[in-house]
Amino acid sequence: MSDTTEVKKENMVMEHLVSLTYRERLTPNLNRFADCLLDGNIVGHKCPSCGRVYVPSKGYCPLCVVATEERDEVEVADTGTLTGFTIVTPVAYYGQEETEAFVYASVLLDGADTPLGGMDIVGVPHEQLRAGLRVRAVWKPKGERTVQGISNRGWGGLDSVIEAFEATGEPDATEDIFKEHTF
Amino acid sequence: MPATDIAIVGFAQTPSRRECNQSEVQLLVPTVTEAIASAGIERREIGFTCAGSCDYLTGGPFAFVSNLEAAGAWPPISESHVEADGAWALYEAWLRLQEGDIDIALAFGSGKSSPSDPGEVWAQQLDPYYLAPLGVDPVSLAGIQARALLDSGKATERDFAAVVARSRGQAKTNPNAQQAGDVDVDTLLAEPYYRAPLRKHDLPPISDAAVAVILARGDKARQLCSRPAWIRGFDHRVEAHQPGVRDITTSSSTTLAARKAGYDGGPLDVVELSSTFSPQEIVLRESLGLGVDTNINPSGGPLAGNPIMAVGLVRIVEVASRIVDGSANRGLAHATSGPLLQQNLICLLEGE
Repeated sequence: MSDTTEVKKENMVMEHLVSLTYRERLTPNLNRFADCLLDGNIVGHKCPSCGRVYVPSKGYCPLCVVATEERDEVEVADTGTLTGFTIVTPVAYYGQEETEAFVYASVLLDGADTPLGGMDIVGVPHEQLRAGLRVRAVWKPKGERTVQGISNRGWGGLDSVIEAFEATGEPDATEDIFKEHTF
Repeated sequence: MPATDIAIVGFAQTPSRRECNQSEVQLLVPTVTEAIASAGIERREIGFTCAGSCDYLTGGPFAFVSNLEAAGAWPPISESHVEADGAWALYEAWLRLQEGDIDIALAFGSGKSSPSDPGEVWAQQLDPYYLAPLGVDPVSLAGIQARALLDSGKATERDFAAVVARSRGQAKTNPNAQQAGDVDVDTLLAEPYYRAPLRKHDLPPISDAAVAVILARGDKARQLCSRPAWIRGFDHRVEAHQPGVRDITTSSSTTLAARKAGYDGGPLDVVELSSTFSPQEIVLRESLGLGVDTNINPSGGPLAGNPIMAVGLVRIVEVASRIVDGSANRGLAHATSGPLLQQNLICLLEGE
């Protein structure tokens, strides 16, 4: 019998770090969305077929399957309704920078048919958050806005332009705003 | 052999471009719509949809889900996705039609290689122990294959250049081609090596594009199209993942797939090969037993436009379009996947 060497677990594990680099231009519809955000305006595309307003624009209406163009651009308000939310209690893991419970809310802007996701709500105790709460955008000062985080994925990156949403003090919206929508 | 007659009755493709500033879905929306229009059907008549794409290309997790929006997924539809070239999506749609309960299916393939570095991305499809950590990229692998081909005496560098010159010349009549024009073999051979023995022109361009196909069954196909491109055989076979254990100067899985698809060595009016690097045309030609006078890649092939995840389905469309317009009666299309022709698909098409 030959000597058997004990194989340690760490000798059986190989580290293989992968890094992939992507460089892309924003699609024309998202480029326009980003430019307008820097000026404090929120724009989307209105489907020429069904009239639904997508914010930001995808460059097409997924329900009618028609392309939308710059001529379909509409501006929507920076006020809206909280349609759903999650209170996230962070646990420590690599990359998690939050330590306190925070809000991840969807806000349906007035004039839009698609909500903005992942929004923070400030000035309202978490236990008072509710679907239907009327909110308005808290913009970063013009010079501090950046749109680097906006990508062709079509979501995220808004927090470097709009810090959060705050309550307007108006009466809550009725459940009618949920009709014909999936949030 | 297929249990039922299934044919290509509609199709559309975008041109191949080095960089398209629309999203992959934006490329697909008009392409799928045009394919549906070319078949003369309503979108809701489609009984099954299958898409082929790869999220690594644009780095968008679940990008393939957004791509489905180009099919019109509301009200809900019956659909599937393959993390492969659209040719495999067409294969799944063809299989689904054989069930016999639906008459029409849609398949599409799309890819934008422009946002990433193909050398970086495609190294990741190799085995994670030996090759991926080395970062072996497709061009280096193709160079090894080209060298093996030269060493075997099966081809010369002049043969590689001749493939390029012919492909680019043929691409001149293809409005979707990205690289086309008259080039002379001696001029090509005077170019420096890029990854010896390959020169830059032996490589395909980096491309963004999308393609869509409508399949119909039996009488429905005859009703929709005056000259459907019937799928007489469809098969795909796979070899060992590790290129080092294969004879890379030939492609046994291509030979087998062609045999299983029913290709008997008879005359072909048109052949479209996914020969991504010029030496691969020589490998595939031998594996399929194609004579020197065979009409190969009249579109210019992948050397004229290489939208990864669409390029194989484009080959099938290039053959089908020639059957539908009556300029060809029998043709063979080839698609490939994996490192160095690891997996190969053959689609044999015929007019009535």
